[in-house]
Amino acid sequence: MSTAAPQRKPKDYKSDLKPIWCPGCGDFGVLASLYRAFAELDLDPLNTVVVSGIGCSSRLPGFVTTYGVHTLHGRPLPVAMGVKLANPELTVIAVGGDGDGFAIGAGHFPHAARRNIDVTYLVMDNEIYGLTKGQVSPTSLTDQKAPTTPWGNLETPLNTLAFAIASNASFVARGASFNTKTLTELLVQAIEHKGFSYIDALSPCVIFNNNQESWKERVTDVEPDHNPADRVAAFDLALRGGFKLGILYRDLRPTLDEKYAALVERTPDSDIATMMDSFSARKGMAIGKPTA
Amino acid sequence: MARESVVIRLAGESGEGVISSGDILTQAAARGGYWTQTFRTYPAEIRGGPCMYQVRMGQNRIYSHGREVDLLVCFNQEAWDLHWHSLAPDGVILYDDTAVEIPAEFQDRARPVRMEKLAKEIGGSSRAKNMVAVGSVCGVIAFDTTPIEELVIGRYAHKAGVADANIAALQAGKNEAADLMNSKEITHPIEVEEDRVLMSGNQAIALGAVAAGLSYFGGYPITPASDILEWLSAKLPATGGITVQCEDEIASLASVIGASYAGAKAATATSGPGLSLMSELIGYAGMAEIPCVIIDAQRGGPSTGLPTKTEQSDLQQALYGSHGEAPRVVIAPVSVEDCFWATVDAFNYAERFQVPVIALTDQGLATRMAVINKPDLSKVEQWQRKTAKDVEGQAKRYELTDDGISPMGLPGEPNGQYVATGIEHDEYGHPTYTPEMHVAMQEKRWHKLDPLANGLARHEYHGQEQPDIAVIGFGSTYGAAREAVDMALADGLSVGAFYPRVLAPFPVETVREFTASASRVIVPEVNFTGQLARLVRGEVGISVDSRAKCDGLPFTAEDIHEMITEVVR
Repeated sequence: MSTAAPQRKPKDYKSDLKPIWCPGCGDFGVLASLYRAFAELDLDPLNTVVVSGIGCSSRLPGFVTTYGVHTLHGRPLPVAMGVKLANPELTVIAVGGDGDGFAIGAGHFPHAARRNIDVTYLVMDNEIYGLTKGQVSPTSLTDQKAPTTPWGNLETPLNTLAFAIASNASFVARGASFNTKTLTELLVQAIEHKGFSYIDALSPCVIFNNNQESWKERVTDVEPDHNPADRVAAFDLALRGGFKLGILYRDLRPTLDEKYAALVERTPDSDIATMMDSFSARKGMAIGKPTA
Repeated sequence: MARESVVIRLAGESGEGVISSGDILTQAAARGGYWTQTFRTYPAEIRGGPCMYQVRMGQNRIYSHGREVDLLVCFNQEAWDLHWHSLAPDGVILYDDTAVEIPAEFQDRARPVRMEKLAKEIGGSSRAKNMVAVGSVCGVIAFDTTPIEELVIGRYAHKAGVADANIAALQAGKNEAADLMNSKEITHPIEVEEDRVLMSGNQAIALGAVAAGLSYFGGYPITPASDILEWLSAKLPATGGITVQCEDEIASLASVIGASYAGAKAATATSGPGLSLMSELIGYAGMAEIPCVIIDAQRGGPSTGLPTKTEQSDLQQALYGSHGEAPRVVIAPVSVEDCFWATVDAFNYAERFQVPVIALTDQGLATRMAVINKPDLSKVEQWQRKTAKDVEGQAKRYELTDDGISPMGLPGEPNGQYVATGIEHDEYGHPTYTPEMHVAMQEKRWHKLDPLANGLARHEYHGQEQPDIAVIGFGSTYGAAREAVDMALADGLSVGAFYPRVLAPFPVETVREFTASASRVIVPEVNFTGQLARLVRGEVGISVDSRAKCDGLPFTAEDIHEMITEVVR
């Protein structure tokens, strides 16, 4: 690529498809932040893959000019892992909602985190199911009334930030759709981070769970003296309050694709002919356990 | 008089050396130049529970594991109780002298072997019991123990004392049961020039995958498929590829789909319960047209079922599993050798048709050890998918082409960007719900597979190609059917077997031609409801005799020969 090419602009990442979101949806702010972050990083759309699940927010890959995979409900993370491991040169971003990521897809989250797959996972958290019209999600508040909880939600919401830190995510942050400047900065850092970066973006559903005004009032920035390398402090922050915008935790350790590359590197080369010969009926010793 | 082949069955408690004895015997037979095939059963528990290892070895090519047992080796009383009825009328018995009581009427052909005592005397522990047992078998079948000694020396190259003790135990075992010595003498193998290999169905699949260009494998442990993941985990990095043990079968196939989206040849392996979990993603891969290979080593069902026993009961799940109507290819290898070639085919079909391919084996075939002709690697073809660089200008990912195959942009390729999606879409991959586009896309996704039903797929025949009595089966039962057909041909009957290797799309015309002059069509399969029989009836519109059974055991050649003989009567 020519180094003289002018830096890409946010609009360069905007596809011809118009978002199908409701007017005022928080996801517009998240998408705008993503365009800006991509432009700031000057990401090559050909080498960027945005992977999503199912839900309102999971339609996002259609609205960017990169490669994209709109997967099944709850499955963006293992698909994103496969993409990244098959081609570690790619920048891989997984996106979805709180139901997609923490109800049906929750079984994948801790494994993506502990494996440290080099993927940025951006969750647009509206604490509700929007696409299916307003049922409670794993992040909905206790006592919240919804079509499936007409008597009020009996369950306790999941603290996704604490979950992420407990699962050994190597980058954990919170942003908000109504604060695009901070969210853009967080996305830039998350994408640049080598390893699994989790961003929980508060992104209100203005139709079924419009928290926008109360959330705007409650958010504050993470204090400047917070040390993101301190896992205990990060956990403390995550447990205390969900409205601190910024980076809670950041740690650098080898990514899964780096570890596999090292494994392949240190394994002596072989080929199918050699492997086949190890099964020779007259000479082979291949029964039972694989020979080293 | 020496016989061309013998059937040896070792039985006892899991963990007391039955499996290792069987392995040693199988490998020794292969080294000695014999064709061999094995069948084993084992309990679902890690230790304890009855297990059985049957080795059939012979001078000539062997296609099934045999039914009547020429030599039964009982490690404990339960082994006798469970297996005495399988003895051939002249079959002989070797048994642990301390553990087994043999009824009086069998005494003249049963001999005790001091397994425990000799092992302790020679090796200082009971660990060498398996070598005593193997030695006693060698005595009865007049098998030269040299190949076993070579194996022992090779395995314990740095522990001369251990090797010596094992060889001494082997020789001591050989001299037990002196009056049965050579009573089941096997003819010497014919010297052959061609290369042969000894491997299991699962190993042949793993090798086939490597030969086909596998570079990503995601899997989750499940009996009886786990050792594909294990073998590849040890071997694939040496070729630059990787394996991931995923958190479940959903993640396994999801990661395979992701890797394939990025351009890798990718696969997973599982058994029925895992295939159930993968169902939604199989539909996704069919809809989004992402190549992937899924190996299903079937086991007894439903639910957890008989996890260590064999069954062919996932056929309908493989053909239809997933909501909506999701295209896929289903291929069923018919032998250990074919496990290699069918896996190569599976990858090639996946790439060419941009479709999920399910390969159906089963516990019997997955764990079957067999001596096979070494696959000729120069005959392996690697087909590649059509990508954005194969077309001019901006690629239309789901372009409605004549053959239904569209360019699949790979990340990094210019002019290939698109969003893979399970939503109905237009040629660019943009969501659309118009009736016209849905019809056009369903036709594209299904008709692109037509070449497979119309001559591209290779099927397996044996016997007459226009028989009076037609046998139609799939997968692992082929070897037994093949030997049964040979027996029936020797009886003077007009008989032939047809084994479709590709079951979806189903080769309707091929089956119609094969059965055109048949008065009876027999369909043996290892399940309860006769799934293949229903498929043949439904697709071809002919009546068939369903011969389904679900006892967790494979058919023998004699079983199928009896079916043929019965319909003649």
